[in-house]
Amino acid sequence: MTVRAGLRGAPLVSALIDLLGTEKVLGTREDLLIYEFDGAVDTATPDAVVLPNDTADVAKLSRFCHQHDVPIVPRGAGTGLSGGAIPVEGGVVVSFARMSRILEIDAPNMRAVVQPGLVNLHLSTAAAPYGLYFVPDPSSQKACTIGGNVAENSGGPHTLAYGVTTNHVTGLELVLSDGTVVRLGGKAVEYEGYDLIGAFVGSEGTLGIVTEITVRLTPLPEDKRTILAAFPTIDGASETVSAIIGAGIVPSAIELMDQLATEAVEAAVGAGYPLDAGGILLMEVDGLRDGLDEAATRIEEICRANGATTLRRAATTLERDRLWAGRKGAFAAMGRLAPAYYVQDGVIPRTRLPEVLRTVRDVAQRHGVRIANVFHAGDGNLHPLILFAKESELEGVKQAGLEILEACVAAGGSITGEHGVGMEKNCFMPLQFTADDLATMGRVKSAFDPAGLANPGKIFPTPGRCREFQLAARR
Amino acid sequence: MTDRIRPADAAACARAVAESAAASRSLRVRGAGTKDYLGEVLPADAVLDTTALAGVVAHVPGDLTVTVAAGMRFAEVRSALARAGQFLPLDPPHADAATIGGIVAANSTGFWRSRYGGVRDLLIGTTAVLGDGTVARSGGRVVKNVAGYDLNKLFVGSLGTLGVLVECTFKVLPRPPATAGAHAQFARSADAFAAADAIVRTSARPAALAISGGPGGAWELLLQADGDAAPVERTLELFSQSARAQGTSAQRHEGLPAVLATMNDVSARGDGAVVRAALPLAAQPAFASTAARLEGFTQLVADAASGIVRVVLRGDDAVVIGGVDALLAAARVCGGSGRIERRPDSLRARLRAWGDAEPAGLFLMRRLKEAFDPRGILEPGRSAAG
Repeated sequence: MTVRAGLRGAPLVSALIDLLGTEKVLGTREDLLIYEFDGAVDTATPDAVVLPNDTADVAKLSRFCHQHDVPIVPRGAGTGLSGGAIPVEGGVVVSFARMSRILEIDAPNMRAVVQPGLVNLHLSTAAAPYGLYFVPDPSSQKACTIGGNVAENSGGPHTLAYGVTTNHVTGLELVLSDGTVVRLGGKAVEYEGYDLIGAFVGSEGTLGIVTEITVRLTPLPEDKRTILAAFPTIDGASETVSAIIGAGIVPSAIELMDQLATEAVEAAVGAGYPLDAGGILLMEVDGLRDGLDEAATRIEEICRANGATTLRRAATTLERDRLWAGRKGAFAAMGRLAPAYYVQDGVIPRTRLPEVLRTVRDVAQRHGVRIANVFHAGDGNLHPLILFAKESELEGVKQAGLEILEACVAAGGSITGEHGVGMEKNCFMPLQFTADDLATMGRVKSAFDPAGLANPGKIFPTPGRCREFQLAARR
Repeated sequence: MTDRIRPADAAACARAVAESAAASRSLRVRGAGTKDYLGEVLPADAVLDTTALAGVVAHVPGDLTVTVAAGMRFAEVRSALARAGQFLPLDPPHADAATIGGIVAANSTGFWRSRYGGVRDLLIGTTAVLGDGTVARSGGRVVKNVAGYDLNKLFVGSLGTLGVLVECTFKVLPRPPATAGAHAQFARSADAFAAADAIVRTSARPAALAISGGPGGAWELLLQADGDAAPVERTLELFSQSARAQGTSAQRHEGLPAVLATMNDVSARGDGAVVRAALPLAAQPAFASTAARLEGFTQLVADAASGIVRVVLRGDDAVVIGGVDALLAAARVCGGSGRIERRPDSLRARLRAWGDAEPAGLFLMRRLKEAFDPRGILEPGRSAAG
């Protein structure tokens, strides 16, 4: 690991207090503890936590850190699943808890301007009176922030038809690691010159810090149909996904859950999923109300032809919300099955779903672990949840995760669809990219962050940690 | 005479670019040459012709993705996908001749952007040769992928200045079961935009909402609806209602695709200058009335659902220059941006393609250009970023 010589520990905390005032700086051991974690499994302790009130605070902090060689790690709600908010090299964690406002809902232009700490769901709630909503809907949307969504290029169940975060961001205000403030884009769909916003979204805090975001708002669908289909086997469910797409139907969501996941969800949420099914599909079509029943019927016919044993169409909003509550609460429900879980995020071409799911089963058997599957089947975005009980099992669990990712890449896919690379998968990047590919990304990193202080230790393989991983992979 | 290099594959392309870099030989990167008018085209030592980089590399219909060599013509990709009942939902200008690489590099979109996304939204993987001959891949062949930086976006609209595209992967879609067209005429441009806006605010998501108008004549709003038969019919009803609300009536339009294609090629034809502005949606009516008051105003074509407006100006040099300046300023004032997409050769020296305003973040763009093309050999000076 790179060890920087810069300012750290108590001297850093007192210097930050001098710079920004006591009310914006946390530095005691107890205060720092909760910033060691995010939604993933790795931990590291920051030297200090800063809670800025505005862009000027972030710029001032960045300039200071640049002068004193201090890494800066932005943090939204800490729901990230790849260790993106973990200060792996120490330094300052910047929490956006106080920059969480909606600055503007511009209904005529169908845009909203928000601060990075705004909770995802709050935006859609605020836009609803205008007949609009923010499309990306990660399962953590009750807690996760828009700034985090921008950093990770977050998806969610409904991105199959409507795109992920990058398709819905038209403007950004950034603070670079040297403190320079840059405003990019705005309320139009594009601006002249290179698409820096496109390069920035999904950069996981490694190119700079977002302090303001302009997003697209989309008209709420006039109506929806939500269908649950249960299949005797997970193969039956995953083959049905290809059959639906093959029939020329692209629903707004197709989610798949296996029996283990269903068991947990029913225990925790009681969504009404059948417990005896090997695989369950949750599907939605939306838009104008005309033709929705026909579209739903066609989907149901395909499910039936592929062996569905139970078909249920939500008749009321309440029923629909209940079906979705099961899916969105699935990760949290894993607590019913095991004290801890490790979630992977591989993507495969969707026609390879049945075979890769069989590989996931083989991996589970080989490692003697239980794996629950809850995922965005329409996108081919797997979320195997590897269950475990004790810290001592974590290395074996990570190894099982790595084998699943290797299978995804071998099938022509990716090591991450929406959770990000972070510090969790940076060692695995060479599975998917050549040295030249990674060096090209490194050129982008250097253009934005020549000093390398923006969330170091993420995305790019680091010599120290990754050597250990390679040894573990061989073992 | 300018040299011409026509590499047959990615490796040959990488060698050619590396040799050019070593010799500090500047390259014009060119596919079918349909957009030679775009940007500041400066003299180059050689032309790198991408048209031998052709063919479908991979297409598994069930995955809804296609990977093609970048020199392949869009029309050929369209035919190949049609055989599988699918389409790449782009309607770029010069659709019959343009190559995939040219469409990406020029960020060529037509009227379908609001429904189906623009090039940036559909492009999920690229292989490109950087200015030093490095072959760099980004993204992949899956529809969702956040591994590493999304370099695909940087190449969209870069006009060849960051790298030579050799392979591109796109999301594709099943062809819609039904498609229909309609149009309505309005006396005032503001009414046409108001009727379009009423549709934009529904969940109808029409494939196209295009507006066309000229001096003195009527303003026409054209709608294309794609999808299942029932929502297509309902979209046409919504269109009729919104036309009636503005005091006019809508009719079916059977020949819509040909009309839209002609409107789309507005920058490819004739004399005069074409300003292309990307505007916040609600700024379009005011921008259109500014355009209509200009002395050289000849035609306005808008993708009203995306806020992309093109204005054709004709007249003597002073009239064209004055009109262009007024439109670029108007675009900036309302929070959008504009560029000169085409201008007469006689005015090339006096009208810079990107106007006088610097794009936001230009210093970052210059650093990227320097990083991707250290010797500055790829299309030097052609894009707003260098």
